[in-house]
Amino acid sequence: MLEIENLQAGYDRLQVLWDVSMHIREGEFVALIGANGAGKTTTLRAIAGLLTPQGGCVRFLGENITGYPAHRICQAGISFITEELNLFQAMSVEENLLLGAYLCRNQNLIKTNLDKVFSFFPILAERRKQLAGTLSGGERRMLALGRGLMSNPRLLVVDEPSLGLAPIIVLTVFKTLQELHAQGVTLLLVEQNVTNTLQITDRAYLLERGKITLAASSKELLENEYLKETYLGKR
Amino acid sequence: MDLAIIQDLLMTGFLRGGLYASMAVGLALVFGVMNICHFAHGEYYVLGAYCAYFAFVTLGLNPILSLLVASVLSFLAGAISEKLLFYPLRKRSKGEWIMNAFLLTAGLSVVLQNLFRVFFGMKYRGITQFWKTTFHVLGMSLPADRIIAFFIAMVAIAALWLFLKKTRIGRAIRAVSQDENGAKLVGINLDRIQTLTFALGSMLAGLGGASMLSLSPAYPYAGNKPLISSWFVVTIVGLGNVPGAIVGGFIVGIFESVSFFFLGSGWQDVASLTLLILLLLFKPTGLFGTQIKSVWE
Repeated sequence: MLEIENLQAGYDRLQVLWDVSMHIREGEFVALIGANGAGKTTTLRAIAGLLTPQGGCVRFLGENITGYPAHRICQAGISFITEELNLFQAMSVEENLLLGAYLCRNQNLIKTNLDKVFSFFPILAERRKQLAGTLSGGERRMLALGRGLMSNPRLLVVDEPSLGLAPIIVLTVFKTLQELHAQGVTLLLVEQNVTNTLQITDRAYLLERGKITLAASSKELLENEYLKETYLGKR
Repeated sequence: MDLAIIQDLLMTGFLRGGLYASMAVGLALVFGVMNICHFAHGEYYVLGAYCAYFAFVTLGLNPILSLLVASVLSFLAGAISEKLLFYPLRKRSKGEWIMNAFLLTAGLSVVLQNLFRVFFGMKYRGITQFWKTTFHVLGMSLPADRIIAFFIAMVAIAALWLFLKKTRIGRAIRAVSQDENGAKLVGINLDRIQTLTFALGSMLAGLGGASMLSLSPAYPYAGNKPLISSWFVVTIVGLGNVPGAIVGGFIVGIFESVSFFFLGSGWQDVASLTLLILLLLFKPTGLFGTQIKSVWE
């Protein structure tokens, strides 16, 4: 579904990603893990079109989308939920969700999606008239996920959903992602919370200093000695 | 003091405030959505005035049609200048956008003023009135043009409000003002929104210039005064805040008419600038400055 080949990306003269290659098949739940500053977010920004790759190729559903602007990548069917969420703070929960369906002109479909999001996150239905800027951290995270789902994406890309949340809410977020996956959504997840991530994903890539250094099924990676020592903190 | 004088001052200030409000709304919109400190706004006001003049006098169209022509043409002029100047600049400037865009508007203002000079000469092109009636309001008789210009400004602002609040594209404009990346990620084409926003701002200015034609004739430099006054408005209320700009328009309109009466025309600007300096000293965010960035919520 998504194929990335030899992706090079960075900021001006500072190259961050070196020959990153990965792929995601339809229906898979894939994680991209790695330490702070390894280039995980940069990879996602390059996929979503917030950053123009300096080289390499990104294909989605057979279409070469390398260097497309973000709004066209959204149109192609990729929904990116950033770490900072990028919500419209001064708008209500409902308006944020409706903007998530900006590209959809079918009012009935928008209504169906809205109901779907509300059944997923009942708290959003309760707060529908409340301004996004006044929500709690967990609610904002859910709103961002909900907004991302409003466009009926083929692929949902989520950056650090556990960041800054209380452990109990982190669990809810992870459960939600699992549930989305169970409903057939293809997911690419970036996380620093390696143990939890490997428990819910099918496969994972390890990114270190801008290069993919490990790629295997999550089960295998949980048993990987190197990963255990450096990321999982077990001996 | 005579009650009639107070009433007269308030009325003049209020009517003048309507124009300032609609001009300032354009400025606030352009700053709020595009981060442009627009110093060529006055030139679109003049362009609207010229368009209305030629439509009304040369082509002999009726007033409403003349104003419509002026709005459409200033909308188009705004769209074209955005695509031709600001769009390429945006693609090339990285972190310096606010300064670059400001300089571009300052340059554009000079170029447009001189183009007006070349094409239309240093001649005042005014009309005595669009509508040959006088209205009697609270015992005062006011030329119909004044009242109608005021109502046109209010209708334009109300229409903008409806557009921003109720339509899909309007919501997208507000989204861009609040979070550009968020807007891109939900599929909003930023380039189109920016062009549309600039065109709308120019249209508001052009409509202002057109509807005020009988009170201030078209002239290459006629845009300076409304530009300064509308900048005065957006600075005291806080940049990029549309509802604030409406209230501010009336505050400044009334303030100017009162200070003009008491201090005379030479000191009027001194009074305005003093107020501005004091306000910036004690409340740098402006009267209605907020934490969350948004054009109209």
